[in-house]
Amino acid sequence: DSHIQYERVGADVTMKCGSMDWDAAVTWTANGTDIDESHLNGSYLILKNVDLTHSGQYSCYEGSSWHLKYQTYLGVGTPPKEPVLMCRSNNYPKGFYCSWHLPTPTYIPNFFNISVIHGMREMVCEKDIFPKNRCHIKYLQLFSTVKYKVTLTVTNALGKNSTTLTFDEFAIVKPDPPESVVAKPVPNNPRRLEVSWQNPSSWPDPESFPLKFFLRYRPLILDQWQHVELSDGTSHTITDAYAGKEYIIQVAAKDNDIGTWSDWSVAVHATPWTEEPKHLTTEAQVTETTSASTSSFMPPPTTKICDKGAVVGSGAVAVCWTAGLVLAAYGVLFI
Amino acid sequence: MAAADSPSAALRRRDLCSRGIRLAGKMRSDVVDLLDTYVERQGLDASASVAAVEGVPAAAVERWDEQTGTQRLLENLAAYRAFRVLLSQMLEEHREQLGEADAALGRALASVLLQVSAFAYHLEELLRLESRGPPSEEGAPPPPAPHLGLFERKLRGLGVLRELAQWAVRSTRDLRQLTKPSLGSGLAPSRAESP
Repeated sequence: DSHIQYERVGADVTMKCGSMDWDAAVTWTANGTDIDESHLNGSYLILKNVDLTHSGQYSCYEGSSWHLKYQTYLGVGTPPKEPVLMCRSNNYPKGFYCSWHLPTPTYIPNFFNISVIHGMREMVCEKDIFPKNRCHIKYLQLFSTVKYKVTLTVTNALGKNSTTLTFDEFAIVKPDPPESVVAKPVPNNPRRLEVSWQNPSSWPDPESFPLKFFLRYRPLILDQWQHVELSDGTSHTITDAYAGKEYIIQVAAKDNDIGTWSDWSVAVHATPWTEEPKHLTTEAQVTETTSASTSSFMPPPTTKICDKGAVVGSGAVAVCWTAGLVLAAYGVLFI
Repeated sequence: MAAADSPSAALRRRDLCSRGIRLAGKMRSDVVDLLDTYVERQGLDASASVAAVEGVPAAAVERWDEQTGTQRLLENLAAYRAFRVLLSQMLEEHREQLGEADAALGRALASVLLQVSAFAYHLEELLRLESRGPPSEEGAPPPPAPHLGLFERKLRGLGVLRELAQWAVRSTRDLRQLTKPSLGSGLAPSRAESP
């Protein structure tokens, strides 16, 4: 006949060997290992100031016959602290869910009981299979000014504790983040990025309960985000991106009228379109090859880069002169 | 009913609904601001629970998604007509109590009253479009304001404004349902519902 007992950390525990007399000769084991006689007071097992390592199966055997006389599982733990409770509606207007956890483990089994009261009505919170510390409630009424009161009680063999949340229907509405965020460069547009996303799949009726969105973006090299709020649509074109810089982009969602913003979506990265670099001409490559023996670096000739046929406009000459000066200075640095 | 379903009527309905949604959004925003002002000026606790106030139409509804368009319009209209009376009473009490001492609160109340009246008219237009027409307001006069002490009147006012803020959200949702092209948004009752 096996028993279970739970004791607090730090307690002194005395185990009797079933109906055996105090002066009977017995042997105690813990998880199959003999316990030293120094822990015995007659046939009683004395465990002082127990800690978590004392948890286990304890068995008592009659002295010479080794008949099992008593067996118990000892669980050492603590009474529960005040649980942490959260309620949220990510599928408005269908319903909401509440989830909970203990701030510190008790190391022994706990039982949770949740009650939901709306006005005079007690509502049923259906336990989810996964995760197991969660339950969901269907809204029976919408647009109510009466608050919901949710009380979670946690009980174990060593004590109980509870917490209560009171909230309005609108206050807990928080969608899941937008899904399938995609950011793409726009061909021939070095400062644009096209971003698109989808409504979170958990939001049941975006047509009747439209979401608005908040987009944030920044180049990886900077810490400062830029933000754009969008009241409709699931796409946006960024038009002020720094050319050639990789960007990180995220989107958040909120019901158009009530509740709070979702968490940020998974971040996506994108770099605006850049022009393909022009290749050097064959003559320039020959010039470099013949000069290789006299110096380690020769600036490329300016004539071909500033070929008037290639540069259009009245400023072509000034541009060529400037380019030549820059290249010459660059060459000096490497001699 | 045929006239109500004509393309021009459908366009007009859509236009009225879109404008109504914008009206309701603005109204809600102003009511929320008014609530903050009211709580502060009346020395109330913003989180105070107020029991259901007699004569204040509750926005709470069960099976909201199953309502027909007609039900939505009629319930909204009844509510905003009631709020028109309630806000008028609040405004009068405010003037009697404070006179010009708190002009800002008086102006805010008057502004919301105007928006409520405008929205009620908007709903009447939508019902006229249905060829059903809005129910008449003639007949019994509005119920007089109950005789309450000063604190009870303040709490009642808080209840009125809170419920109005809720209605403004509900109205936005109701009007959006009316713009949906599905059967459920039809203003005319379905065959199954006809007597």
